[in-house]
Amino acid sequence: MHEIDINLLVGGPQGGGIDSSANMINMAFSLAGYYIFGVREYHSNIKGRHSYIHLRIMRRRPGSLKYPVDIMVALDPDTLFEHMHDVSKNSKVIYDSAFEKFDLSQARMILPDTLARIKEELSKNNLPLNAAGVLEYYHSHGIKTISIPFDKVINENVPEGPSTRYYNTLGAGVTLALLGLDMDHAIAGIKYAFRKKPAVIEPNVKILNAAYDFVDKLGENIANLETYEAKPRMLLNGNDSVAIGKLMGGLRFQTYYPITPASDESNLLENHEEIEYLSEEAENLRKGGLVVVQTEDELAAVNMANGAALTGARSATATSGPGFSLMAEGISFAGMTEIPVVITFYQRGGPSTGLPTRNGQADLDFALNTGHGEFPKIVLSSGDMEECIYDAMKALNYAQKYQLPVIHLIDKTLANTMDLVPEIDVKKVKIEIPEYNNDENNYKRYSLNTSNGVSPYGVFGRDVFWMTGDEHDELGHVTEDPEIRDKMMEKRMKKLETAAMEIPLEDKAVLYGNKEADLTFVTWGSQKTLIMDLIDELKKENINANMLYLKMFEPFPSEFVESILGKSKTVIDVESNMTAQAAKAIRLNTGIKIDNYILKYNGRHMTIDEVLTATKNIIDGKSKMEVLKNGS
Amino acid sequence: MQKTVYNKGSYNFRNNVTIDWCPGCGDFAIVTAVTQALSKMDMDPTKVVAISGIGCSGKTPHYLNIAGAHTLHGRAIPYAVGVKLANPDLNVLVMGGDGDMLGIGAGHFVAEGRRNSGIVVLLYNNAVYGLTKGQAAPTMPLGEKVKSIPRPSILGKINPSALALASGYTFVARAFSSEIAQLSDIIIKALNHKGSSMIEVLQPCPTYNDVNTLDWYRKRVYKLENDKSWDPEVNSADEDEEKFSRAYETAMTWGDKIPIGILYKNNIIPPFTERLTSIVPDYFKYPPANQDICDKNGYTLVDPFKTFNEKVID
Repeated sequence: MHEIDINLLVGGPQGGGIDSSANMINMAFSLAGYYIFGVREYHSNIKGRHSYIHLRIMRRRPGSLKYPVDIMVALDPDTLFEHMHDVSKNSKVIYDSAFEKFDLSQARMILPDTLARIKEELSKNNLPLNAAGVLEYYHSHGIKTISIPFDKVINENVPEGPSTRYYNTLGAGVTLALLGLDMDHAIAGIKYAFRKKPAVIEPNVKILNAAYDFVDKLGENIANLETYEAKPRMLLNGNDSVAIGKLMGGLRFQTYYPITPASDESNLLENHEEIEYLSEEAENLRKGGLVVVQTEDELAAVNMANGAALTGARSATATSGPGFSLMAEGISFAGMTEIPVVITFYQRGGPSTGLPTRNGQADLDFALNTGHGEFPKIVLSSGDMEECIYDAMKALNYAQKYQLPVIHLIDKTLANTMDLVPEIDVKKVKIEIPEYNNDENNYKRYSLNTSNGVSPYGVFGRDVFWMTGDEHDELGHVTEDPEIRDKMMEKRMKKLETAAMEIPLEDKAVLYGNKEADLTFVTWGSQKTLIMDLIDELKKENINANMLYLKMFEPFPSEFVESILGKSKTVIDVESNMTAQAAKAIRLNTGIKIDNYILKYNGRHMTIDEVLTATKNIIDGKSKMEVLKNGS
Repeated sequence: MQKTVYNKGSYNFRNNVTIDWCPGCGDFAIVTAVTQALSKMDMDPTKVVAISGIGCSGKTPHYLNIAGAHTLHGRAIPYAVGVKLANPDLNVLVMGGDGDMLGIGAGHFVAEGRRNSGIVVLLYNNAVYGLTKGQAAPTMPLGEKVKSIPRPSILGKINPSALALASGYTFVARAFSSEIAQLSDIIIKALNHKGSSMIEVLQPCPTYNDVNTLDWYRKRVYKLENDKSWDPEVNSADEDEEKFSRAYETAMTWGDKIPIGILYKNNIIPPFTERLTSIVPDYFKYPPANQDICDKNGYTLVDPFKTFNEKVID
């Protein structure tokens, strides 16, 4: 049987309902037993600029998105112009009939350079610079457009209006109807999407009915999707997943300063400051809650988290590039004074303010080299929801166990990826409590009497000890003694060796796929699941590929990486940056130089189709460096 | 978790670390006043911590026999707030210089007023950056020329007490390093105050500031409490406007006469810790530093499907 594989794009003005549209579609298909996978692309803008959600619906769990899409829903005229290349023959484009009067001279929210490109494309095809032109463009490319008089349909069914309130439901409804999802599940989806606003369910269901009637008359169904039993699953993005993992991992103090794409994590935690406990025996436990503090800046965020960690509370902060830049000094301090703290670092397009709402993986070098001086830190990265959860728990463990700062890298694509998670294993990661000092009146916080570099732990409120960012003696007092300096440096750095030895290989790097493959992809972060999908795609074309997936960059799994890449035939490094920073880390640690690259730095999520094309170009010897361009 | 035990009553709050401030430095008085205050209060030494930034003031925690963190330039307040909010049981003293608090750390100094976390900030005001050889601090008046700077300062000054009031500190006092008994008394009152306190300590820098010397201050300071009608405490909303205005006016008094003493003490604005109980009801009973985070087997206590139920589709 042909595998169900539906790709959708819902575009519209930022703040104009595309989220709820996508939400209804997600809920309906989730309840009908499908998996959904999606990414949200948006401007740094509150209302009006073009944003869109790219979705994929499958029976199995997808890990990537694909162009061209099967259905594109335009909730604004801009969508019709911005995504001319994201649809192809047999795609369907749904739009409001009112857009037919739209002329590009009215386009306020399309960026000047984008507009110029669109005009050039239409002119090249001898088409007028208006809606008629772009619709003709679609028709001439075999794309079916479906014009719906949004206001008329809505006013006929929910006359009390305002009609604009229901654009999202109509768009979602037509999409669900075109895909032939049964009405019951569509209604269930609407009810679920609006479960916190029961009053609006009834009119929205009316609109949904109208959408189904409209499509019925049209006779344009592109599928007749069956429905299946669905187990409870969590619809998560990367921000949610890290927040969940942190709370599960014992986080009790989080600081943040608002920044995209990191603050959603802290905002979710703010909704869960009073913690519900799991087990029956929890009755006898010391319960409490999580404290989340919105600080005055990122300097305060990292240093307040450091301060909280001094009391023994598991403590963390979350930020993005500009904030992380401000945190560098606090991270160096945590390294010097051996404070267990976790910094979740959501990478976005840089440098400087860069592309604040777009993807990037250009901060690996920075994370690895952050903070002045030499000090031990752990740098790890996650590539899917489960990893975000379990890695957040592990990051808190590492920080405590080795008494050092841990930097947990996430990229914007992963932060904003919507994914259905079937289960979370509460026993997967054990919470590891560090060994506390037991020497009542002669406590040396920085005792050199240690073989693994880790001195007995002590906390404010329990022990009297000192700490300073200056070089210090065992008690924590300032010293400039040259011998103690050497010993302290060696003690601190020893912890990295200990961590390298103790942390299992599967938490550092994993080889997915056939060991003897002809082609090896090297990647990290959100490309993980995309490359896994790609390996399956390539199999269909008799190309045998595997993936060396990197999870930990400090300590770096040099031997393992060397053992894989040393015998790989063709190696392609896939990253969302311009300078191939993971490949650089590999070369630095192993001396191995990767020859082929697929890179993307336009800030948009990678899609499987463009990586596939780029891979073939490399295999065919057409190039060694492919720069990906998809995305509006 | 076993706790370190100390004998109360006879505890020596000054340790044996050699102090390396210049002879005649006002900082010595602060160490004395703090140790006197803690002894007088019979403070459990594990229940009080000292947190500093960078500079001469930054060394203070090393000289006290209580847990101490000598942190980053300007960042002592965020560290202190982290400690306080994670363990509200602790008394948290912040030692910072004028440059530390009002130059590089001014943002935190102001933000702490909004939070009112319940920390005690001792602001060492000697108008110079001592440890880097006497540059003008944010408290040096425009046009002042001390021996360590090549020409009169072309930067204006910040009045720390006035800024603390404007920022929202609920306990604001000004002290003078030669009046140790008064300073010690103010520290005790600040430690017993629920919200955040800012104590500005006027002091000489005998090495670099040859204008604001001990004698210069001695001729000018007068104690507010000598006026029997002086009452800086606000216990109801209706008396706040008048007392705040008077405090502000008094804080701004500078020149031939410089008032010292408690300028303002607001007992009705709830501290941040109390505000947290509206979100986490048993916050004081089980603060972040004192909770169980796993069961006896080390497994998490949080069930994601239950706790984050709003994310579950079924």
